[in-house]
Amino acid sequence: MIEVQNLVKDYGPIRALGGVSFTVQRGEVVGFLGPNGAGKTTCMKIVTGFIAATSGQVTVDGKDVVEDGVEVRRRIGYLPENAPVYPDMTVREYLAFVAGVRAIPAADVTRRINDVAMRVGVVNVLGQEIGTLSKGYRQRTGLAQAMIHDPEILILDEPTSGLDPNQIVEIRELIKDLGRDRTVILSTHNLPEVTATCNRILLIHRGRLVADGTPASISAAQGGGNTFLVEIARRDGAHPVADVVARLQGVTSVLPVEKAGAIGEPFRIAGQGDTDLRPAIFDLAVRSGWALIEMRRERLDLESIFQRLTQS
Amino acid sequence: MRNVSTIARREFFAYFGSPVAYIAIAVFLVLLGVTFFFKIPFLLPKDDFFEAKEATLRPLFEWMVFLFTIILPAISMRLLAEERKMGTLELLLTLPLTETEVVVGKFLGALGFLGVATALTLAYPILVTVLGNPDPGPIVGGYFGVLLIGAAYLAVGLLASAWTGSQITAFLVAIVICAAFTFVDRLPEALGLRAFEATNLMSFNAHFRSIARGVIDTRDVVFFLSVIVGAVALASHSLESRKWK
Repeated sequence: MIEVQNLVKDYGPIRALGGVSFTVQRGEVVGFLGPNGAGKTTCMKIVTGFIAATSGQVTVDGKDVVEDGVEVRRRIGYLPENAPVYPDMTVREYLAFVAGVRAIPAADVTRRINDVAMRVGVVNVLGQEIGTLSKGYRQRTGLAQAMIHDPEILILDEPTSGLDPNQIVEIRELIKDLGRDRTVILSTHNLPEVTATCNRILLIHRGRLVADGTPASISAAQGGGNTFLVEIARRDGAHPVADVVARLQGVTSVLPVEKAGAIGEPFRIAGQGDTDLRPAIFDLAVRSGWALIEMRRERLDLESIFQRLTQS
Repeated sequence: MRNVSTIARREFFAYFGSPVAYIAIAVFLVLLGVTFFFKIPFLLPKDDFFEAKEATLRPLFEWMVFLFTIILPAISMRLLAEERKMGTLELLLTLPLTETEVVVGKFLGALGFLGVATALTLAYPILVTVLGNPDPGPIVGGYFGVLLIGAAYLAVGLLASAWTGSQITAFLVAIVICAAFTFVDRLPEALGLRAFEATNLMSFNAHFRSIARGVIDTRDVVFFLSVIVGAVALASHSLESRKWK
């Protein structure tokens, strides 16, 4: 549905995008992840036709964003970074203005405005001038604007910036809900946000795509491995835990780790392939009379992947 | 067309929803009234309304043009510069609109302001008609000319506003261009030279005077229309060029 091919964008001597390609299918909720200045916003501006790429091509449903700009923009709802709005208009006037440009029939405008206002939670400020609203309300007004024509594609540049934790949860729920029957591309540098809302991640760094996939597949591709963090307390004189565990089937290594406030001995245990060692370790602990203080499977979480991929 | 009118309406109501329009119109009407009713010799040496003992509005129109060179750039300066500054340009241009629609809509919105400001001066021709027996030709021509030259100022102001994100810059650039093109016909005289055709051809004022005499010459109308279309087209082009920066 959205096809991005070898996108390059130079701002004068600075290369903001160095050849980015990806395809987004209908119904995907894609999180654009990357540090500030990675090229997320630039990429979104090109897809929405606000700026043109130096080279490369973007098509939406087979239509070129440069040549068929108006047609493409009709299908997209876009929330630009920092949610720019007209401060001198009321929320209702502003949404009515956008509805007018979006060619929503006059008879439906009021109903549509009330619908989206309800969904993003700006019903109680519809009559207020946007300039007098808090950042959170402005952000939601921007979101309402992007949804007013019920677009197939929503492109949201940092949709939750400036919101308080409760509002963030609400907006995430809304995005998930929207993602059920349409395509959503959102950008963020907030990691929990991507895990909470997206079924696909595009990690972008210095204008290049460095990872593309679900959180799990990226984790696996980055050598997340199959490791378990175990903390065991044993009685005096018992066999050293490491030796015993190492003999367990499927265990490849047992390494002691540092852990603050440990009451037993903490280890990182690596297993072969994808086998879950936890039942075996539990049985072993029971047989050996150890107290199992803690045991969890380690995932190379997004945070570590993010750091690993963007600190080079 | 529908999009153009949506933009135009927004712009028009943005003016009248804020004090800007009211202040500009008040200043315009007060200054116009002062020069019309009081003798201000250094401003209007020969054509003072009551001295002239003649039912004419010529000095009024001349003075309107002068005021427009300052007031209309103040009105047009925000058209695009403000959007650029606030980031709403991104919002506007990612709606299914073309640059031309945005620019033409904004121009028409500002033209609405000009229409209101000009309509509010209709008291003068009414007064003159009640008091005397004026020739209607120069009055109709005068209004036509004032609207044309005003529209040209707004188009130039719009272009200046497309060039920058600063309203003050847009304002000053527009004043300089408008004033230069308006008064260029006086340049040879000021330099002690004989008048020559080129300056008259370029001068907004020379074309305006010609229309204001009451005999409408197509060449003058075409002149103003070309300035308007040219400046609006350049503004649209300038807006489009942001894409490649």
